[in-house]
Amino acid sequence: MWPIIRNRLIMLVFVVFGVSFITFLMSNVIPGDPARMIVGPRGDQATYQRIREQLGLNDPLYVQYVDYMKGIFTGDLGTSIRTQQPVLDDLITYFPATLELVIYAFLFAIFFGVMIGVITAVKNNTKWDYIGRFFSITGVSLPVFLSGLIFIIIFYGKLGWFPGSGRIDLFMELPPRITGLYTVDSLLVGNFEAFKNSLWHLIMPSIILGYVQLSTIVRQVRSSMLDVLNQEYIRTAKANGLSEWFLIIRYALRNALIPVITVVGVSFGMLLGGAVVTEMIFNWPGMGKYVVESIGFLDFPAIMGFTLLISVGYVIINLIVDLLYIVLDPRVRE
Amino acid sequence: MKKHLFFVVLGILILVLGACSSETQNDQGDKNRLVIAISAEAGTLDPGVSMDNQAWKITYPTYERLVAYDGDKTTVKPALAKDWEISDDGKTYTFFLNEGHKFADGTEVDAEAVKFSFERTLKIGKGPSGLYSIIDNIEVVDPYTVKFELKNAFPPFISTLAANYGAIVNPKVMEHEKDGDLGQGYLSANTMGSGPYQLEEYNKGQYYKLTVNPHSAVKPNIDTVYFRISSDVSETRISLEKGEIDIAEGIPADQLDEVGQMDGVKLVQKPSLLVDYVYMNIGKGTDALKSKEFRQGISHAIDYDSIINETMQGFASRFVGPVPEGLWGHNPDSKVYEYDVDKAKELIQASGFEGAELDLLYSDNKPYWEELALTIQSNLEQVGVKVNLTKVAYPTMREKIDIGEFDLCVGVWSPDYGDPYMFMNYWFDSDNWGLAGNRSFYANDEVDQLIRKAATISDQAEREELYKQAQEIINEEAVYIYIDQQQFTLPMSEDVKGFVYNPMLEGIYNLAEMTK
Repeated sequence: MWPIIRNRLIMLVFVVFGVSFITFLMSNVIPGDPARMIVGPRGDQATYQRIREQLGLNDPLYVQYVDYMKGIFTGDLGTSIRTQQPVLDDLITYFPATLELVIYAFLFAIFFGVMIGVITAVKNNTKWDYIGRFFSITGVSLPVFLSGLIFIIIFYGKLGWFPGSGRIDLFMELPPRITGLYTVDSLLVGNFEAFKNSLWHLIMPSIILGYVQLSTIVRQVRSSMLDVLNQEYIRTAKANGLSEWFLIIRYALRNALIPVITVVGVSFGMLLGGAVVTEMIFNWPGMGKYVVESIGFLDFPAIMGFTLLISVGYVIINLIVDLLYIVLDPRVRE
Repeated sequence: MKKHLFFVVLGILILVLGACSSETQNDQGDKNRLVIAISAEAGTLDPGVSMDNQAWKITYPTYERLVAYDGDKTTVKPALAKDWEISDDGKTYTFFLNEGHKFADGTEVDAEAVKFSFERTLKIGKGPSGLYSIIDNIEVVDPYTVKFELKNAFPPFISTLAANYGAIVNPKVMEHEKDGDLGQGYLSANTMGSGPYQLEEYNKGQYYKLTVNPHSAVKPNIDTVYFRISSDVSETRISLEKGEIDIAEGIPADQLDEVGQMDGVKLVQKPSLLVDYVYMNIGKGTDALKSKEFRQGISHAIDYDSIINETMQGFASRFVGPVPEGLWGHNPDSKVYEYDVDKAKELIQASGFEGAELDLLYSDNKPYWEELALTIQSNLEQVGVKVNLTKVAYPTMREKIDIGEFDLCVGVWSPDYGDPYMFMNYWFDSDNWGLAGNRSFYANDEVDQLIRKAATISDQAEREELYKQAQEIINEEAVYIYIDQQQFTLPMSEDVKGFVYNPMLEGIYNLAEMTK
């Protein structure tokens, strides 16, 4: 196990270099100049040149890159041009919101994905199979901006069941920041009002976000379940008179889940990077919204920080997936 | 067993949801709380740095300035300064401060603070400093008297002091200085002013919460004001309908009529100084644009009424430029190019540039630009001019405007201070080519002389006359296409009273005078 972790950490360094280099190059190749954004819509040349100098934009590109990389390894991701705050502080502020949303979306996708996957496999080629598959396919086919809008109009506008925006009510006292996840923090301090309120805010966006990943999980669970159900040991167990659902959950699902882990890991990464649209629709104050606004301002340090965080996240998720494999499947351990 | 567990979990989930949803949050009866939905988060809130309207919504009520715009007028009235004197040569401004104005921490606003604020802005050297580079020296005469020496006479100066970047900052901000940033990091997310409100809480990505400055000289009616960031229009509309917000910004023109008809919602409509126009790149664009006849022809080819009625949904009127109606210096008798296809064809033929091709630059910064660009394209096709649409990202658009890489380009403009200087000198002075304002890259010595002279003499009637002479030349030469003058339109709850729209303060609220 340890060699895997060590190798991955070494790889991480290369990923950081590669990603930072490409993002840096791309940011600087596209036309547009952050100094022009700072100087305002009608800035004069003298001020513009002064700001370029202040930001170090007049230095050769490689000098700028080396300066940036020096910062990264001392934990300094630079100062955001738009907010004038250290990028690291900004990311620390916005990341938990995205993480919380993604965790709930993920739980939703796994819970219903595995459930529907198992049902469609066991009830293969029956109406349950068709309904289940139709339901999950709808998730990938409906774009988030449409399903999100429909949800807002029905469940917030017409029925008033759920709030349509933000992480918590405006007038609600915020839980103290411990993890940054409102549902966790509020439980930790025993503030059930805030817990209920933030959970209530999470439901619509996490369903919308999780629904997209649902079908991937359903498909994987269904196909590997079908494989497993055709194995001889299942037939033997059946012949020995074990009850059907006990068999399915205890023996079949356990083995079927191993390939699912990979898909689920990738899903989590995709949710993390792909929550942008959901965040915009539900006014979710996460990283996605932050980076969209940063892109509009050509805020290079913020864009770079976001990209690095997501790519490091991906590497870590992959590492966790591999470690889970080892735990779940004794054959891989050797 | 597992099967049962599943249903138990599901049951608990439903119960929790039920408990949550039964709890409706009807706080709309609260008279002391105002919620304004804004469409985007502001960048830095530092008045010495920010050039952003979103940030000014927060900084305007949290800081005070030496002078302030008077109600809905474009002229200024005393604010921190109770009175001021301008020397005969127009270069020395002496301000006499009111006593008893205090920052939110209780420190009194004195002449030192005034000097500090302007010097800080100049030292930071970002956007607002360009405007104040005219200041040569600031002298504290006594604790309540401060004297500004200008490098040369500049009559609009008094007006610039009422704008957002004229905010007086508490000198104690230096206690928050980091790495010589003059407190820029701290002020980006905090306020340190003497305005009627202070920023109590900034929940990033969600809201700004303003509460009353306990030491303010003015006592506002509304205790707490929330600026809620609402990036989705549909959600904003529903929130307004439900009474969860009081004012809804960012509603596109094509939905305004409908929103205005919702129960308990009114539309505030006022003439604004915001204009839509098109830059014709004379200096750096294609050769055809160097021909006066060609530009005149193009100006006649645009169907202005259809843009005003369709694209702008009637929330605009014809722009008789270059100084819009409502600002002194506006001339209602200025030459206007009417929509006249035959005349347009004639002029273009006379110019010898029939069949010219033009690149029209725009971006997605304003939602209606797409439609505007398409209209211009089809209008010009009628007169035999082919228009290629170039849609780019907004930062790219700014860059292209600055370096002059376009033939035609759509634009908006609103003045920061109440002086025709904001139009005449910005738009036409050949020293201001590019982003700075002269976006048609126009150069005319006679115009330069007239407007530069008008910018240094203090007599208003005399200045107006000079500007008028310049306008005649400019409009004859068809430097820009004047499209429309927009109407300020804002949906708000009928309960909100006392909002006064000042065309100088686009999107900024007079929170201290408002009630609910």
